[in-house]
Amino acid sequence: MINVKDLHKSFGENEILKGISTHVAEKEVVVVIGPSGSGKSTFLRCLNGLETATSGEIEIAGMVLTDPKTNIHMLRQHVGMVFQQFNLFRHLTILENVTIGPRKVKKVALAEANKVARELLAKVGLVGKEASYPDELSGGQQQRVAIARSLAMGPNVMLFDEPTSALDPEMVGEVLQVMKTLAIEGMTMVVVTHEMGFAREVGHRVIFMDDGLIVEEGVPKALFSDPQRDRTKSFLAKIL
Amino acid sequence: MDPIRQNLPVLLDGLRLTIQYSIVAIILMVVIGLVAALMRLSTVAPLRWIATAYVEIFRSTPLLVQLFFIVLGLPAILPVNQWFGQLTYPILAAALTLSLNEGAYVTEIIRAGILGVDRGQKEAAQSIAMNGFQTMRYIVLPQAFKRMIPPLVNQAAQTIKDTSLLAPVGIAELVYKGEIVIAETFASFAIWGLIAALYFVLIFSLSKFASYLERRLQVDKR
Repeated sequence: MINVKDLHKSFGENEILKGISTHVAEKEVVVVIGPSGSGKSTFLRCLNGLETATSGEIEIAGMVLTDPKTNIHMLRQHVGMVFQQFNLFRHLTILENVTIGPRKVKKVALAEANKVARELLAKVGLVGKEASYPDELSGGQQQRVAIARSLAMGPNVMLFDEPTSALDPEMVGEVLQVMKTLAIEGMTMVVVTHEMGFAREVGHRVIFMDDGLIVEEGVPKALFSDPQRDRTKSFLAKIL
Repeated sequence: MDPIRQNLPVLLDGLRLTIQYSIVAIILMVVIGLVAALMRLSTVAPLRWIATAYVEIFRSTPLLVQLFFIVLGLPAILPVNQWFGQLTYPILAAALTLSLNEGAYVTEIIRAGILGVDRGQKEAAQSIAMNGFQTMRYIVLPQAFKRMIPPLVNQAAQTIKDTSLLAPVGIAELVYKGEIVIAETFASFAIWGLIAALYFVLIFSLSKFASYLERRLQVDKR
């Protein structure tokens, strides 16, 4: 589903990604962990073109993102993204937040878009909030709307950029539960997170990044209980 | 005879012209300001340069000088009076110059409004596959517009007052008509007082309407 070959990304003189190569299979849930500044968020943002790769190749759902001829907007219809700060459209109601993508980008009729949006809001447990505005919702509720907004575009892959880091502790669970449901349903997911419980329980594979490189990757159980590299060991020792 | 009552129809005709020029200039300044603001934020460098030059030139010279230059100066080197008509050219040129001048300030208001919208909003729009136009039209501008209302109302009030500078270049409006009336009646104090009062009523109702509009948007959309 996702193929990354020797991905480099620099901001000016500062090289953030120093050659990332990996593959994500269909229906696979990959969790990316690592210290802050390790480049994990930049890596994720490269996957839907919010950052432009300096060099290397990214292929998603058969389209080559790094090819300048590729229509980035076509590709993004297949790649959903959930942000740390939710980024709900503050001037739109919850229902409109979910319908605006399908309506304006995919030209879906209003009635059809509303129907799909209501189903998705039900799925993330937010029936009755359709007419509210984002500021009236808790962080956990907003993040679940953001997930529904992404799903409304019918993506093949979902990217999560520290989706629970901005949440109060008591709201983390409800968001992780929605993500877990998605994973069980077979969504291909790449998740940058500090939630090791989620990584262990839901992840099929964990990638540990440090200093712009993949240091180590493997099935969660093995990586957490028997890390091979010193850097992985010292990172896990600090957070577990 | 009471100079005010006798000449009121002339002054009200001037007020009507002032309102007309104000409406035209306010509409045009917003259109021009929006286009120039988008050009200033464009990734295409020449568009940025043109818009920046426009803003700097119109902000750094007095409106009165601009009016004299374009309304009275330009006909000295170009046959604009023949192209547009002896009577039409000054009116067209004055209205356009006023709009361009106010548009330069509106450009900066709109640009600041757009830049004030959180970057995450744009990224979220991009992540649901919106293109640049859709992102601007459906996500960024509606949010920017709300915070632009107070400075835009300020600018609209300024524009109404600036229409008084059309009188020196020979365009008939409230001040122009007032000067005619004073020349006939010598009632300076009463007539200027009345003219000031008329401007006040005009601009005061505008700002009342604006705060009503702002309150409504505040209630409907958070």
